[in-house]
Amino acid sequence: MFSKILIANRGEIAVRIIRACKEMGIATVAVFSEADRDALHVSLADESVCIGPAQLKDSYLNVAAIISAAEVTGAGAIHPGYGLLSENAKFAALCEKCNIAFIGPPSGVIAKMGDKDMARQTMQASGVPVVPGGGMVDDFKQAEKEARRIGFPLLIKARSGGGGRGIRLVRSMEEFENAFHTASAEAKIAFGDGAVYLEKYLYPAKHVEMQLLCDNQGNAVVLGERECSVQRKHQKLLEESPSPGISQETRMKMGRFAVQAARAVGYVNAGTIEFLVDDSQNFYFMEMNTRLQVEHAVTEMVTGIDLVKWQIRIAAGLPLNFGQKDVSVGGHAIECRINAENPSLGFRPSSGKITLLHIPGGPWVRFDTALFQDYTVPPFYDSLIGKLIVHAQTREEAIRKMQAALCELVITGVDTNTDLQRKILAHPLFRSGRYHTDFMEKLEATKP
Amino acid sequence: MMLTKNLFKKPGNPLEWYDGHNKNSMPDIPDQMCISCPQCKAILLTGDLNENARVCPKCGYHFRMNARQRIGLVTDGDSFRERDAKMRSSNLIGFPNYEKKLWHARLESGENEGVVCGTASIGGFPCALFAMEPYFMMGSMGTVVGEKIARLFEYAAANSLPVVGFTVSGGARMQEGILSLMQMAKTSAAVKRHGEAGNLYVAVLTDPTTGGVTASFAMEADVILAEPGALIGFAGPRVIEQTMRQKLPPNFQRAEFLLEKGFVDEIVPRRGQKEYLANLLSMHQRGNGHGSV
Repeated sequence: MFSKILIANRGEIAVRIIRACKEMGIATVAVFSEADRDALHVSLADESVCIGPAQLKDSYLNVAAIISAAEVTGAGAIHPGYGLLSENAKFAALCEKCNIAFIGPPSGVIAKMGDKDMARQTMQASGVPVVPGGGMVDDFKQAEKEARRIGFPLLIKARSGGGGRGIRLVRSMEEFENAFHTASAEAKIAFGDGAVYLEKYLYPAKHVEMQLLCDNQGNAVVLGERECSVQRKHQKLLEESPSPGISQETRMKMGRFAVQAARAVGYVNAGTIEFLVDDSQNFYFMEMNTRLQVEHAVTEMVTGIDLVKWQIRIAAGLPLNFGQKDVSVGGHAIECRINAENPSLGFRPSSGKITLLHIPGGPWVRFDTALFQDYTVPPFYDSLIGKLIVHAQTREEAIRKMQAALCELVITGVDTNTDLQRKILAHPLFRSGRYHTDFMEKLEATKP
Repeated sequence: MMLTKNLFKKPGNPLEWYDGHNKNSMPDIPDQMCISCPQCKAILLTGDLNENARVCPKCGYHFRMNARQRIGLVTDGDSFRERDAKMRSSNLIGFPNYEKKLWHARLESGENEGVVCGTASIGGFPCALFAMEPYFMMGSMGTVVGEKIARLFEYAAANSLPVVGFTVSGGARMQEGILSLMQMAKTSAAVKRHGEAGNLYVAVLTDPTTGGVTASFAMEADVILAEPGALIGFAGPRVIEQTMRQKLPPNFQRAEFLLEKGFVDEIVPRRGQKEYLANLLSMHQRGNGHGSV
């Protein structure tokens, strides 16, 4: 086991990882930007190192500074959390070179799955159904031909995109030319790679993902699924497990395909395979996330398995001490992402000092956050400031519990989306469980 | 309110231990992996630096670059064909320890001598090309360097090719005594014959270009370009200051200073060099109706 781990992240996920380390008796090193000097993860960790100015590229994405911090503090492993450097194959490769364990899959696997087109091809070759679409399109002429073959509506996706970014929906041929050029230009700026591919836009469909844990010894288990169809602009807002929209048979099938896919790429550590599921229970591979997900807590609540601890154990070379038959999904869990933003002002991000904070409590209520009273939310980073997760025996009970917990959550000083989350939970379509990825558009359209 | 230091107590849990699986390795950063920028002090990854043509992505500082990297940067694909690759220096005047020094230089640079010569195309335009090697005794000019450069100009003159040359040098090679000084005259004569036949010669002066090289072929080009911040001069600033007993102006002997004084025609950052050179070659192409240089 590692005796010291550096956490190359901030906010609630850095706190989440430090907590796991504290349970495991592992010393922790926090890294922080100048804007995060007073952040909770810095106080919680045993040691902390400032790695640069507020801007992400100068601090949390500053590879040289982070690796130097690991060397100076003697940290034998780096946990990248989610976002930031977590799916950066180059960073993972550098860690490998520096004798630092990267807590995640090998760099080669990240690179393979990070190239969305190569991921599609790999999955197709191993027999996993993929969303109808094509390979890379190099120029407009070829793209146009491909678009006619696939049919509208379709999605233009960036090869190097991820986390909901670099995706553009096109409904007709008239929009296509303009959309193609903008998508390519945007991808070039955002990911340094302008390559795009086309994919059929499946509609209506649900976004359901399977959580995997794979060890170095070749064992792979599926820890059930998460339904993440409540999204706004491809950013997830609310997740639940199990999915209310898939049959037990589909679930089993998806699980088998997920394991097959993981084996096909030689996957190690925690990973997620995202599928689109239509109303006839057909499902298609969308992409693989080679990291811990924001919504991992939902899976932890229904399975009782600590994903972060297992990530660390697997990275240290330990085999899974349970098999697929030992995994049981019990009850129902829901997670609401609490963002510092104002939904009535076009989701404008909000920052400032937290003047009052009350965190909900009671049985099976969990709030993962890095907030504390009088903390100042800096304006430089992602708007996610907390994740409220509840667990109950039935979906109905979980929804009720979440409604109650959201009312008990008080954050003054910054705008939050808690009222929007309550509206989602109260919506009849959400209650029915038969909602799709366009749920938020429908909800916003029905505003009084 | 700030979270005070030691606000949280340590839980004191013993380290989780499974069947003796213990992976308590220490990080070990390979020496070559990181480099500090001498200008802005930023720590850079060597890989990133190389991808960026060895120019600091933060402040634009031009790091030293070996001859092969330069050739790779400006020439088209694998168009480079080397000439006189096997020529090597020997200890002509019995200078103490020169053999050993040469052996080390070969090892450090991976080259036989302080300059790499050949032909290539830049943006589709054929040319003769030389690039001096800073990691071979700081590109100092001995008999072999002089001979290779003179031969390249002779070859270019015979084949009506323009010459593009990248200079980096500490000057004449003192281990070869007076013979190295002779190279100044020899190369200058070859440059002159090449020019008189109506051929273009473009020199790119990089950091540092000094001594006998400055005093000969580096400053004899039709178009003299320089990299930003390059030190270009004959004697070093310290020597001049001590001899003249005067304080030298700031930025003395830097490319920007020389541009202002008219010794250099243009400063071209490394990443734009290929395009710039291709433009020059295109404008001075023989038989394009615009006459020759």
